[in-house]
Amino acid sequence: MIGSPNWFQRRKYSGWGVSPKTWEGWVYIGVAIAIGLLIQFLPIGTEQTKTLITMGLVAVIIIDVVHIMANIPMDERDRIHEAIAERNALWAILFALCGGISWQAVTSVLNKNMEVDPVIIAALVVGLLAKALTNIYLDKKN
Amino acid sequence: MKNTIAQIRKTLGITQEDLAAKTGVTRQTIIALEQNRYNPSLGLAYSITTALKKHSIEEIFELP
Repeated sequence: MIGSPNWFQRRKYSGWGVSPKTWEGWVYIGVAIAIGLLIQFLPIGTEQTKTLITMGLVAVIIIDVVHIMANIPMDERDRIHEAIAERNALWAILFALCGGISWQAVTSVLNKNMEVDPVIIAALVVGLLAKALTNIYLDKKN
Repeated sequence: MKNTIAQIRKTLGITQEDLAAKTGVTRQTIIALEQNRYNPSLGLAYSITTALKKHSIEEIFELP
């Protein structure tokens, strides 16, 4: 891939993703932004073409960042801290999602219509599947 | 779990960064170990024992 995991560190206090750790990481971000701006300002076709190229650039960056995040060097203490922090974040998100679904269910009943956001339900189902598959994998591996 | 990592490390003239590099962990982990804020895994305890030139884990780590 393009970026090296050694140039970045995982975000701990400001959401998910990575932040630059070395000057190479900052150059990586600068070049990505510069390419994005270049695409917008160069006379290389219609707005639609520019949008498609920008989407392609964003897709490449997302795939590269996921690769970086999956390979950032972490020692055992980092892994434990990440696991605990991500578990707590998950519980907070679950609480918010279930609260949202419950609220929508109650208002649906009171308004005598069925208006529950399918995106929230999909998020809960996807999370459930991710957890189940991870546990199946870990049970087989260990 | 208490340990004598800091004392042995200083006796050998090894920096925290050197010890971290030899044991494959970050300097922050070495600091947490020396301040008794983190208990290492068995593998890490063995790595530290070897890096500090000791023969057994008990020479460095003490159960409460």
